[in-house]
Amino acid sequence: MKLGNLIIAGIITGSIYAMFAVCVSVWYRVSNILNLAVGDFAMVGALGVDNLYRVKGLPIPVAIITTLVVVAVFAYAYDLVVLRIAQDQRRMEGIVVTFFFTFALSFFIDGVAKMLFGTDVHAAPGLWNGPSLSLGTLHFERAGLLVIACAVIIGGAFWVYIKFTLGGKALEASGENVVGARIVGIDTRRYRRWIFIGTALIAAIFGIVESPITGFTYLSGATISLTGFIAAAYGGFRKPGRALVAGLFIGVLEALLGGYVSAEYGDTVLYAILAALVLAWPRGLGFESAVSG
Amino acid sequence: MSEQAQTALAVKGLSVAYGNVIAVHDATFTVAEGDACAITGPNGNGKSSILMGVTGMVRRRGAVEIFGAPAKNGDVGWAARHGLTLVPERRQLYPDLTAQDNILLGCYTWTRSIGKARTSAPFGRAVDLFPEIKPHLKQAAGTLSGGQQQMVAIARGLAANPKILAVDEPCLGLAEAVAKRVYDALARIHEEGTTLIVVEEAPRRALTLCNRRVEVRNGMAGAA
Repeated sequence: MKLGNLIIAGIITGSIYAMFAVCVSVWYRVSNILNLAVGDFAMVGALGVDNLYRVKGLPIPVAIITTLVVVAVFAYAYDLVVLRIAQDQRRMEGIVVTFFFTFALSFFIDGVAKMLFGTDVHAAPGLWNGPSLSLGTLHFERAGLLVIACAVIIGGAFWVYIKFTLGGKALEASGENVVGARIVGIDTRRYRRWIFIGTALIAAIFGIVESPITGFTYLSGATISLTGFIAAAYGGFRKPGRALVAGLFIGVLEALLGGYVSAEYGDTVLYAILAALVLAWPRGLGFESAVSG
Repeated sequence: MSEQAQTALAVKGLSVAYGNVIAVHDATFTVAEGDACAITGPNGNGKSSILMGVTGMVRRRGAVEIFGAPAKNGDVGWAARHGLTLVPERRQLYPDLTAQDNILLGCYTWTRSIGKARTSAPFGRAVDLFPEIKPHLKQAAGTLSGGQQQMVAIARGLAANPKILAVDEPCLGLAEAVAKRVYDALARIHEEGTTLIVVEEAPRRALTLCNRRVEVRNGMAGAA
């Protein structure tokens, strides 16, 4: 059953896009900064675990924990040193803060990764190995199911946090109105820091579970960031729920186009359709608010 | 009780500057517990900057004490945690959140538990103060009328359970009937024991409610 299997493949890819889009939009909501380095944290997750496991010989759990700790410490330090000076002390605003500092971070991480991991394609070891599972004519790759499981667990936890806790509402308030948030004692800088670290860790986890499917090089981060960026744009960068749906939609559409239209030109047709949708329905897709903020 | 304990807010030598522009220069005044104090003066003379400086929303020079405790400079949550809550000019609501969530976030000054906040007396009091916004509690705050938004902003301030409520230009841009409704609510808040500070451009309306006035001219404040 070709259609069913294509949709399953699309949901797996879409889950990856969706989570990166959620990471981009959640942090933008809090900080008004677009995280163009989110994909690079995924790359570091995948190649870091691969390096520690395959080259250094560490057990998989130790390799994963070490990589995640390094990602968290680095993200903390970057917020503390660069973002704090840029956004809090220098009071820079506009496009410099919105793009520049994470764009620069992306190049920095790529450069370090090239030195540490080389230029070849690598992947973190599979965490759930074995033949694909079948249900009738439908086939489920284990690595793909792991991706979906991570997306459901992390996405679900985040949804519960936003909807049902005062901290989650404070997080939303930080992004909606910084002055209004500070008046009730919400430490907007602390939220910016913890969400930056949290989304970096989520990206790294997805890099680890995704890489057995796709393989990573030190340059893979930019592509991932771009896809997350596009899906997040469909939610006006401020609506994680919409970004999630957009990520899933793009994943499924990509799989269907690859299966039924052309494997070679599927992406070209996909982006033509995405552009046409934006032109036809900008407000409904959140692009107006993305421009006006 | 000593005189120090009866002083709700003591401001001494307060200065606020935005870059090279000095908005407030050496302002000194006190507000006693139970007072309703109007801060009046022409637009652009530093009334709002006094409140922003007092609440720590902008960097300041000088000393601020709330119920005798010296305020920390640069800690935006300090004033709210010590009993002084600001209802700012232009309301500063969270437009995509519901009116209820806006009010609920006032409770963030004293709890991190949404359950405690929802069932608390300050939240109940805040919602009960404006029966007209009850049908709109599930509506996004940004879609409310100006008067309803002002009521939500005051309710958010009350949910913080303040001992001192500082309200900046509460009637800015409101129709006269709505402005009267807002003032009636402020009078009730004061009657129930909350110390009130109201910033107003025109002293006439403020003095219907307030028993004393601080006049601000060119960033200098003094009792009028």
